[in-house]
Amino acid sequence: MKAARFDYLRPADRAGATVALADGDARPMAGGQSLGPMLNLRLARPGCVVDISRLPELRGFEERPAGILFGAALTHAEFEDGAVPDPTPGFLAQVARGIAYRAVRNRGTIGGSLAHADPAADWPTALAALGAHVHLAGPAGTRELPVEAFILGAFETALVPGEIITGVFVPRRSGQARFGYSKSCRKVGEFAEAMCAVLVDPESGTRRLAIGATEARQVVIADAAAALSNPGGVDDLLRAAGLATDPAAFKLRREIARRAIAALESESMPEGQSA
Amino acid sequence: MKPIRLSINGRDIEAEVEPRQHLADFVREELLLTGTHLGCEHGVCGACTVLIDGAPARACIAFPVALDGASITTVEGLADDPVTARLREAFMAEHGLQCGFCTPGMLIMARDIVLRLPGADDATIRHELAGNLCRCTGYIGIIRAIRTVAAERARAGEAPVVTRGRAVDAPFHVSPLTLPVTPARLSNADANRPGGSEQAKVASAPFVPETLRNPVELAEEFEVPASRAQVWALFQDPAQVIACLPGARLVAPSDGRTVDAEMVVKLGPIQAAFGGTGVIAADPANWSGTIEGGGVDRRSATRVQARLTYRLDEVDGAKATRVRVEVAYVLQGPLAQMSRGALARDMAARLTAAFANNLTALLRGETVSEQPAPLDAGSLLFSVVKDWLKRLFRRA
Repeated sequence: MKAARFDYLRPADRAGATVALADGDARPMAGGQSLGPMLNLRLARPGCVVDISRLPELRGFEERPAGILFGAALTHAEFEDGAVPDPTPGFLAQVARGIAYRAVRNRGTIGGSLAHADPAADWPTALAALGAHVHLAGPAGTRELPVEAFILGAFETALVPGEIITGVFVPRRSGQARFGYSKSCRKVGEFAEAMCAVLVDPESGTRRLAIGATEARQVVIADAAAALSNPGGVDDLLRAAGLATDPAAFKLRREIARRAIAALESESMPEGQSA
Repeated sequence: MKPIRLSINGRDIEAEVEPRQHLADFVREELLLTGTHLGCEHGVCGACTVLIDGAPARACIAFPVALDGASITTVEGLADDPVTARLREAFMAEHGLQCGFCTPGMLIMARDIVLRLPGADDATIRHELAGNLCRCTGYIGIIRAIRTVAAERARAGEAPVVTRGRAVDAPFHVSPLTLPVTPARLSNADANRPGGSEQAKVASAPFVPETLRNPVELAEEFEVPASRAQVWALFQDPAQVIACLPGARLVAPSDGRTVDAEMVVKLGPIQAAFGGTGVIAADPANWSGTIEGGGVDRRSATRVQARLTYRLDEVDGAKATRVRVEVAYVLQGPLAQMSRGALARDMAARLTAAFANNLTALLRGETVSEQPAPLDAGSLLFSVVKDWLKRLFRRA
C-alpha cells in the first residue's frame, strides 16, 4: 500500500525538533524501518513526520570513563561493522548482526528501535541486560532512564509528547564479561517469538538477565544469581513473570533462556581470548 | 510538494516530491527506471532493494523527501559494475532466476554479500539473503551463484569492502535505460491536507449483537469501598461508565438502553478512533449485566465487536463491593492483521485495568475528568500501578 498523505519537516537542531513535535499529530522518524511499513500499511497516519535522523548530536558518540554515550541515530549496521567503538567485549556487534536484514540494518537506528518499543525487537531486551540508559530531550529539558524503566509495555515508552531519544549510554564491561544472547524466530530476520539476554561480569559482580518477546514490557532481573546457578531457576522466573500459562510458549521461552545461559560458557567469548 | 536533490545512477537530479511517495515509486514512475520491483511494499520481500549511498536498503520504506542529497543506485545503475557483471554470469550458469521478479533485489543484495564477505559459505549467504524472498523458491541456484562469486573473490585475495557510505561508479555508457528521465511533475494545487477527506461522518446503524467468534477474553476483579446498590446505580448510567474508559466519550446522550460512543486508542504510532453503538442489558436479580457494542475505525476500516459483562458481589459485611468485569472482543481488518498475537491483549488488559481504576475513583467521589486522555503513555499505566501498590501496602 501507499502511505496516507503526511507533511515532512527536517529540523536543523534539537530545539527545532522539539518545536516541530509540539504538534500532537507529528511523529519523529529516524531510520524509518518500523514507521515506514506502518505508514505504508496505513496503521500509522501522522499529520507530519519529523525527520531526526540527521541531527548532529544524534549521529555521534562520546567516550566517558564509565561507558560510551551513543547518538540515537546510529544505525544497526554501524554497530555491526564496528564503525563505532564498543564499551563491551563485542556484545553490541553481536546483537546488531542479528537484527532483521542487512538492508534494514543499514538504515534502522538504535534509538528508533527503543522508541518503537516493539517487544520482539533486539535492542530493548539486549540493552536492558547490558544495563544501558536512555537519554531523552524534550520541552521540559533532558533526563535519562534505565532501559527497563523507559519501556512501559508493547509500543509504550516513557516518552512524553515532543520528547525524543538523543542517545543511549552503554556501561563499560571488563574483558572477563560474558554475554549470552538467544532468540527464536520462524525465519532469520523475522520477529522473535522468544528472546533472552544474560550478562555476567565477574569484575563488578554483575548478573543481569532480560527476557524479551513477551508481547508486553520485557522482564529484567537485575540480580539473576539464583536463576543462573540453579537449573530450575529459569522456570521459576518465567512462572513469576506470568509467562508460563501457554505450555508451548513456556517450553520455547525456557529453551531460549537456557541457551542464552549456556552461551555464557562458549559463544560469547570475545575473539582472541581462550576459555 | 518538497524540493529535493538526488544523484540517481550517477546523474544529479532535482525534483519536487510528495512526502508520502516512497523511493521505489519515485524511481519507477517519475524516472521510468522500472528495474526496481515492488512486491510487498512494506519492507519484507526485498524485491525493491536499491543502494542508498552504497548500502542496500528497501526502496519501498525509504522516502525521497528524507533522502535529500543522497546517491541512489538502482539495478540499472549497476549495468557496468564489474562485480554485478560477474554475478549476472553466475546467476545464468547456476539457474539463479526463473521468473525474474526478485532478481533486481537479489543481484543488489548478492553484490553486497560478495563485497563485504569474500569467501562466504552457504550458511552465511543464507543468513545474509534471508531478507530477499523468491516466489519461485529458486534459492539453491541463487545461493550457488553467490557462493561461486564470493569464492572467486576470496581466491583472488580481495579484501572485504565496507559498502556503507561508499560511492558506486556510474555506468560508462549513457543509455536511456540506465539513466533517469528528467522528472516532470505538475504540482497538485488541490492537494488535500493530511488526512483531510476521510473524516466524513457516517451515520451509525442500530447495533444488533452477534455471537463473537474466537474472541480475546480478559477478566479483571477489584473491590470498591461502596455499597452494592451504589455501584449498581453507577453501572446503570452509561455516561458514567463511558467516562471511566480512557479515551472514550458519548457521542449523543444515552437513553439508558443504547449508547452511541467514540473511543480513541493509541498504540505506539498507531492511532485509531472507533465510533459505534452498543446496547445495555441489566439483570437486577443477579446484580449483573452486559454491554455489547460494535464499532469501526474509519481511517483504517477496522471493525471491533466487544462484550463487557459485570457482576457485583457484596464483601466485607456489605460495606464494600467486589466488581468482576469480563471483556471479550474481536478485531477485524487492518489493525487486526498487524496485531501479532497478544499485542492487542496487552493493550486491552491495560484498558481494563484503567477502567477499574477510574471506576474506583468515581465511587470514592473523586472526579474522573470528562474527556480522559487517550491511552498512550506511561502516565496512565503508572497511575494504575501506583494505586495498586498503595492499596497493597495499606492492606499489609
